[in-house]
Amino acid sequence: MELSVQDREYMCSGHVGCPGCGAAIAMRFVLKALGEKTMMIVPACCWSIIAGPYPQSTLKVPVLHTAFETGGAVASGVRAALDIKGDRETTVVTWAGDGGTFDIGFQALSGAVERNEDFIYVCYDNEAYMNTGVQRSSSTPYGAWTTTTPGQEWKKLRKKNIVEALVAHRIPYAATASIAFPEDLVRKVKKAKAVKGSRFLHIYASCPTGWRMPSELAVKIARMAVQTNIFPLYEVENGVRYTINYMPKGYLVREYFKLQGRFKHLSEADLEQIQQMVNEDWELLLRKAGVSPGAAGPVTKID
Amino acid sequence: MTHAFVSQVSTPFIPRSTTTTESNKTGSWRFLQPRYDEKTAPCSAACPAGEDIARVEMLVAQGLFKEAWETILQENPFPGVCGRVCFHPCESVCNRGAFDEPIAIHTLERFVADTAMRYGLQPQRMALPPKSERCAVVGAGPSGLAAAYFLARLGYGCDVFEARSEPGGLLRWGIPPYRLPVPVLQWELEHLQALGVNIRCNHKITGGFLHGLKDRYAAVFLGCGHYKSPALGIAGEDLSGVEEGLPFLERVRSGDLPSLSGTVAVIGGGNTAVDVSRCALRLGAKVLMVYRRRRQDMPAFGHEIQMAVDEGVELMELWAPLSIEAHPDGFRLSLQKMEVVSEEGGRARVKPVPGETTAIVVQKIFKALGNTAEEPWLEPPGEIAPHILHLADTVVSRREDGLVVVYGGDLAARSKSVAHAIGSGKEAAMALDLYFRRGWDAIVEETARCRVGPGPSLSMEIYTGGDRCRRNPHVVAFEEINTDYFLYGPRIIQPRLLVEERLQGFSEIDLKVSAALAIREAERCFNCGVCNQCDNCRLYCPDVAVCRDTSPQGRHINLDYCKGCGVCVVECPRNAMSLVENETGGRP
Ligand SMILES: Cc1cc2nc3c(=O)[nH]c(=O)nc-3n(C[C@H](O)[C@H](O)[C@H](O)COP(=O)(O)OP(=O)(O)OC[C@H]3O[C@@H](n4cnc5c(N)ncnc54)[C@H](O)[C@@H]3O)c2cc1C
Ligand SMILES: Cc1ncc(C[n+]2csc(CCOP(=O)(O)OP(=O)(O)O)c2C)c(N)n1
Ligand code: SF4
Ligand code: SF4
Ligand SMILES: [Mg+2]
Repeated sequence: MELSVQDREYMCSGHVGCPGCGAAIAMRFVLKALGEKTMMIVPACCWSIIAGPYPQSTLKVPVLHTAFETGGAVASGVRAALDIKGDRETTVVTWAGDGGTFDIGFQALSGAVERNEDFIYVCYDNEAYMNTGVQRSSSTPYGAWTTTTPGQEWKKLRKKNIVEALVAHRIPYAATASIAFPEDLVRKVKKAKAVKGSRFLHIYASCPTGWRMPSELAVKIARMAVQTNIFPLYEVENGVRYTINYMPKGYLVREYFKLQGRFKHLSEADLEQIQQMVNEDWELLLRKAGVSPGAAGPVTKID
Repeated sequence: MTHAFVSQVSTPFIPRSTTTTESNKTGSWRFLQPRYDEKTAPCSAACPAGEDIARVEMLVAQGLFKEAWETILQENPFPGVCGRVCFHPCESVCNRGAFDEPIAIHTLERFVADTAMRYGLQPQRMALPPKSERCAVVGAGPSGLAAAYFLARLGYGCDVFEARSEPGGLLRWGIPPYRLPVPVLQWELEHLQALGVNIRCNHKITGGFLHGLKDRYAAVFLGCGHYKSPALGIAGEDLSGVEEGLPFLERVRSGDLPSLSGTVAVIGGGNTAVDVSRCALRLGAKVLMVYRRRRQDMPAFGHEIQMAVDEGVELMELWAPLSIEAHPDGFRLSLQKMEVVSEEGGRARVKPVPGETTAIVVQKIFKALGNTAEEPWLEPPGEIAPHILHLADTVVSRREDGLVVVYGGDLAARSKSVAHAIGSGKEAAMALDLYFRRGWDAIVEETARCRVGPGPSLSMEIYTGGDRCRRNPHVVAFEEINTDYFLYGPRIIQPRLLVEERLQGFSEIDLKVSAALAIREAERCFNCGVCNQCDNCRLYCPDVAVCRDTSPQGRHINLDYCKGCGVCVVECPRNAMSLVENETGGRP
């Protein structure tokens, strides 16, 4: 049956995202949830390009293109300007990639949320600097090939847990979401919109080009990331109240890895080690959510 | 002194976009193209009547019961009957079976028909313009009635001749009321008659009838069923009190309910044997079913055997009758122990175990063996010749004078079942229409075009050019279903009379299900290969290239922008889309 996701479109055809771009799907859903009274701050990332070359814009809401490292700061300024104008209605949203969030924009982001600036920060995560040609970021997962972690030099460091870093700031609302779970995603965006102060959404957005996988699997792989616990769906209120939104079906991470060219060099032993890492992270999350491993606990099942 | 910076040229403070991206026709990037491509569900291909089950369940899930009923009527005039007595081969191939449990297709079929009956719905008229040729149908069993129904819909006048006092064949005179109440059959017969089918009861046809036929009819369909019972070939089988099974069922069906007592032996393992046993139980006897092979070899439908056992029928497997003698308490039935020699296609070949015999004393004996055609002229010709076509469930024979005789139902079908009889009537109607309109040579090829998937089931909707024509014959496999979109859910439990209640009479055993439960069951259906308007394709398209419209599909792909990523095709839960080579634009 049809999902309850708004009909209205705030994005146009003809954008220049790659075929199967997960970040484009993410934007579509987020804007459907936010509606017209939204102002997008876009620091350098793929979306700077997807939005269209000047004088085009693919979005039907105002977009402010800004420098790579400034997502948090520019949003703070735009919010202040709107406040001066007496506009409390417009939602200010920073829309940044993982590079612009986990790495170069982290300082501006941390500063803004420490001040509890009233805005939503969305990081669409494609796990590398895709716009400049697939360089590794601190979001690139353990085991991945990128152009800066080539051949046997594949990344042997863990992905930074950005949500926990934001939770440590005790912001009112932080959540993960996935393009494969539109209803959950839309619900979280609406929930974030209703909260005052700094809100952070970490959206998993697959990248067929950079991940070396068939474009038609863009949504499927995003779903598998959730099903395998690689990208759990959860939300945290006020830095303390954890809710896990999806209880996995016990799929093995191997299934997720073997569909993507960026992981094709991994051996069985590597995959086993990654499985252990994923299990460990999941158990840590369960502990934070106060769910004993194996028990169903206070979860809302959404699939 | 303050200096204000003033620009020499007037530049905007900040460059502002003035247009959208819609002038970029990103469709030119595409080298593969998504397409709405509805396919064939395994259930529908396995249904001997070729019903469009995936669509029927979709309509039920949407609460569109009348439309669901009419969709079945396209292919089968007897959903109320089939929902009750069909052995539902559709369910054994249901893709949902590989996920949790198959859809209760027959329960939903019955629900839809009962709902139509409860509200006295009238189906939409589906008949084509009248044709000049008239057809005769001999036998008003399911095959003859189906032939008349489809012929009438194709525009042909039909006279049905029936030997017995009421139409229905074994539906009326064989299958007992605890499985098929008479009003259900009557209601469905009324629709048939409303189509202009003329049924003449008490009109037994003899072999001579076929001779003078040409002046009145262009074709005749023979659906006389199998009524000759073979002899057991043992001593004492003709003793008075040793009865034939089928006439006994006919008596029960006519309302004559003899009371039985003591032990009754029923010899045979087919549907007749099972129903005779269950009727005898209800009439007060203790019943032993004696069969020369094993339970799994019995030709009767498995679930019927199980019901009989549940009700208290005792099975004596691997015992063959040797002789019957009169006995002060009734009859002495001697039996020979058999053993399995080998298995052929899952069915055992047996031989006697030397020296191992036994005898039982019973009060009554019913012989219920597989019947054959009553008279030689009803046997379809076996020879291969240019004027004889052996189709899936019929044999079509053209006489020199141009009259065509079609043998159908039990006389010619692959299997003896109600649904095969109906399929055979449909095949006959199609073959005759093709013969009249396109000539003898068109029959084989054109019927093949109307197969559901690989066949041999046929679709009248395809034949008459309905929407189902667009259906790709590819049968959707379980692996092609995107099961992420489905939740596990238990199959509906058919409410039934308790065994004690059943044995008190002939009331229908299977009870009605509520609309709420029927909808829930229908929602479990994957709708294999059939778009149910879930809108996933539009939802996920990264390029906003799937657009709603007013076509029956409800949406189309805007090829100006579709980049051919294929996300919509993979996210279609039910394989109703395909990714194909580019038709327009795009890279070579
Ligand atoms: C006891 C029993 C239970 C069964 N249960 C099931 C079941 O649960 N599910 C299932 O799918 N199948 C079942 N079957 C099989 C199914 O009933 C038959 O396969 C089906 O009825 C065959 O249809 P038909 O039209 O070929 O013949 P029939 O149903 O036998 O109808 C033939 C008709 O032709 C008439 N007739 C015969 N000779 C002449 C003549 N010379 N002139 C005029 N009229 C004539 C007869 O009176 C009869 O009305 C059962 C069969 C039996 C015997
Ligand atoms: C200060 C600065 N350094 C480098 C760049 C070049 N640059 C533009 S986008 C980008 C990568 C962005 O990566 P990410 O934030 O992950 O977004 P993605 O492109 O992957 O969507 C880089 C390095 C820049 N624009 N500014
Ligand atoms: S899931 Fe539905 S459409 Fe598919 S085989 Fe089963 S009943 Fe038929
Ligand atoms: S999802 Fe959109 S762009 Fe991708 S193939 Fe389908 S219609 Fe084309
Ligand atoms: Mg990135």
